[in-house]
Amino acid sequence: MGKDHVMREYIVKRILISIIILYIIATLNFILFQANPMIPDPSTAFIESNMERDQIEMLLELYGLKEPLHIRYIVYIRNMFTFQFGLTFVDRRPVVEEMKPRLINTVILLGASLMLRIPIGMAIGIFAASKRKTKTDAAIITSSLFTHGIPAFFVQLLFILFFSYYLSLWLGFGWPAARMTSVPPPTNPLAYVADVAWHMSLPLFALLVKGFGGMALYTRNLLVDALSQDYVLTARAKGLSERAVLYKHALRGTLPPIATMITMDIPDIFTGAMITEFIFTWPGMGTWFLYSLRFPDYPVLQAIMFISSLLMVVMNLIADLIYGVLDPRIKVGQRR
Amino acid sequence: MAFLLKKERRKIYARRVKGFWFEFSHKKIGLFGLGLLMFFAAMAIFSPWLTPYDPLMPPRVAEKFAMPDWITIFPQYRDYPRTIDITPYWSVAQGSELVKIEWGRKPVLEYLGGTTNTVHVILNASFTYPYKVPPKTFWFKFDRVGEQIEKTQYSLRLSILDLEGKEYKLWSEGPSSRTGTLPVNVESGGWELLKQLGLDPTINLAGMIFTKPSEYYLLLHAYFTSETEQASCKIGIEKFKFTTLGLVHGLLGADSFGHDVITALIYGSRISMAIGLIAAVLATSFGTLVGVVAGYVGGRADEVIMRINDIMMCVPDTPLILTLVFIFGPRIENIIIVIAIFGWQGLARVVRSHVLSLRETAFVECALASGANKRYIMIKHLIPNVYPIIVTTFVLRVPGAILREATLSFLGFGDPRSPTWGEMLRSTFAFGAYERLAWWWIVPPGLAITFLCLSFVFMGHAIDEIINPRLRRRR
Repeated sequence: MGKDHVMREYIVKRILISIIILYIIATLNFILFQANPMIPDPSTAFIESNMERDQIEMLLELYGLKEPLHIRYIVYIRNMFTFQFGLTFVDRRPVVEEMKPRLINTVILLGASLMLRIPIGMAIGIFAASKRKTKTDAAIITSSLFTHGIPAFFVQLLFILFFSYYLSLWLGFGWPAARMTSVPPPTNPLAYVADVAWHMSLPLFALLVKGFGGMALYTRNLLVDALSQDYVLTARAKGLSERAVLYKHALRGTLPPIATMITMDIPDIFTGAMITEFIFTWPGMGTWFLYSLRFPDYPVLQAIMFISSLLMVVMNLIADLIYGVLDPRIKVGQRR
Repeated sequence: MAFLLKKERRKIYARRVKGFWFEFSHKKIGLFGLGLLMFFAAMAIFSPWLTPYDPLMPPRVAEKFAMPDWITIFPQYRDYPRTIDITPYWSVAQGSELVKIEWGRKPVLEYLGGTTNTVHVILNASFTYPYKVPPKTFWFKFDRVGEQIEKTQYSLRLSILDLEGKEYKLWSEGPSSRTGTLPVNVESGGWELLKQLGLDPTINLAGMIFTKPSEYYLLLHAYFTSETEQASCKIGIEKFKFTTLGLVHGLLGADSFGHDVITALIYGSRISMAIGLIAAVLATSFGTLVGVVAGYVGGRADEVIMRINDIMMCVPDTPLILTLVFIFGPRIENIIIVIAIFGWQGLARVVRSHVLSLRETAFVECALASGANKRYIMIKHLIPNVYPIIVTTFVLRVPGAILREATLSFLGFGDPRSPTWGEMLRSTFAFGAYERLAWWWIVPPGLAITFLCLSFVFMGHAIDEIINPRLRRRR
């Protein structure tokens, strides 16, 4: 009972700290975009020279830029924490509405990549660990290091060069190198899904080739580390088969860090594939951010930064808690 | 006494370094990484000697998307032309006793007067075009120098003869009596020129003229007219350069502007390495400092530093780096600082936890008891003891910084004044290298980034195994 109490207290404390961190990040965000002497006033982003005086007044009113800075700050904080991100500068539509389709597009691509990358990477890592000190292991390490070290955008550019252009030269067809659907998109919903999947296959493949190495290497190193621990020695001494030692004992010990790594990867779904989206002109959050940064469209930038920070904070929290659940050696709350 | 101690200490350091090098030299992967790094370092240091061109104002040295010239070993490209750049030797084809002609590479025509009729002289120059495949572009450049012109009007005309003897007028001037230097620059693809010749503006003039490997002739016609017999005129042609752009060029061909690819590649190594190393040094030293202070001083300082660290951990770094570079301007120093700002957190955390355990050890307490102050202990005892972590982190942080910089440049947030590999890849993407299958332009910068990063990863792997003995069991 006492343990439960400690646990609850710890969780409450962690949540409070997370909220404070989020608040500080939101404040920094405000300073960065709205109270920064280095950048022009936000209003210069949408005021055009041919606008009438009252038109400008109306726009300033619309964006809440007529208030003094401290009022704006309070309004801003309230809006952020209630997910009211206001209107975009570009076409004066609600940020949330603009974000929805883009977020879905990004989640489709990166979610699929994450879903495939984890099992593939882990399987390869486990395989390498089970073959440790052999040529197979060395080959897997080298190729993982290589794919891990190669810049993501280079892999993607090579894929475009090869699969989209060389293949179309040789075979008469190539993978689509750009956009999410054909132009114009098919009207039949089934054909539409197939079209999206077809357009998604190349960036997805590129993301997988790039991403499996890190996961495989991480799993393998954790596992090999675990295999040299005393408890594994004990398991072996009990006469368990190598298979049982590997899967039942060693692998169990590696799960918490792997789970942590996965949770820390999730916020990347939100913004992390900026380059992939840029290269394949995927209409997702990354391309939106880059486009808004060029404009610059502060409400959009603020919203994206805030939501991704929120995700990071939440995932950090979850990762911390997962550690406590999956790794019984750690007594949460008694750490410090 | 102090001197002896110093000497002793130096000996110990030397032995340590030697021992480290001994172990390192037995790690194949580490040596491979070191070799790669040396290769890129040599490239960065010796870049001005490795390539004759200026990376910031690159000249057009070949046709757009010219292939690498070693591709001519394959039969289908065997006859592709290289760039020909000549200063032709002019001789007299049709003279006149009223015109004194100095022939050669800088011809001078001196009209002496003595008639009121038009005097016509012709100079010709021949050169060999040795390739079976015609070029797509040729051009010529020269300075026309007019001097001592009195009561004379001259007209000049430059033309080229094709194999059937047809004359293409490429440039003409006059009748005029202007003195001074006139720079002339005519390109075969020029719209004006093609219009003058009555040709379709999409036609390949160079291809029409240079149909076969053969001798080709340039003709320079000069007409002098004067109203009185007392007249003079001196026309010189200087710095004449005739160029046919090659379809193959250099080790790595040309990009979409006809600029040398390898020049950009070689100079790119400088920025990538500089940014990677400086950012990693900044991040590592800051991380160490912060970690040691947080761990050893503790209390309020620790609390503040760790909370900042927590906040930094929760900030989405890629978008924030882009935003910061966008706001503060894409200059190298800004890029380095911004990259460094997002690179110290992990190290600070690890160093702090090590220092926390080190501060309880006997030797630190001994130092404290013998009157050492905190700064002394941090510098002389704590930092040397976390040294292995620092070194490994540094080596492994460099590729991260290099990749970040490449990413920034690729997305168009790089320093426009400095050619980088990321910038090169951006150009390939922006200027249609893919439709043209210009692998010689796309692949090298990407491979360079990859191998430079890998060299550090490999070295880091080897160093990690040497100085973190616990990891040796992995092998």
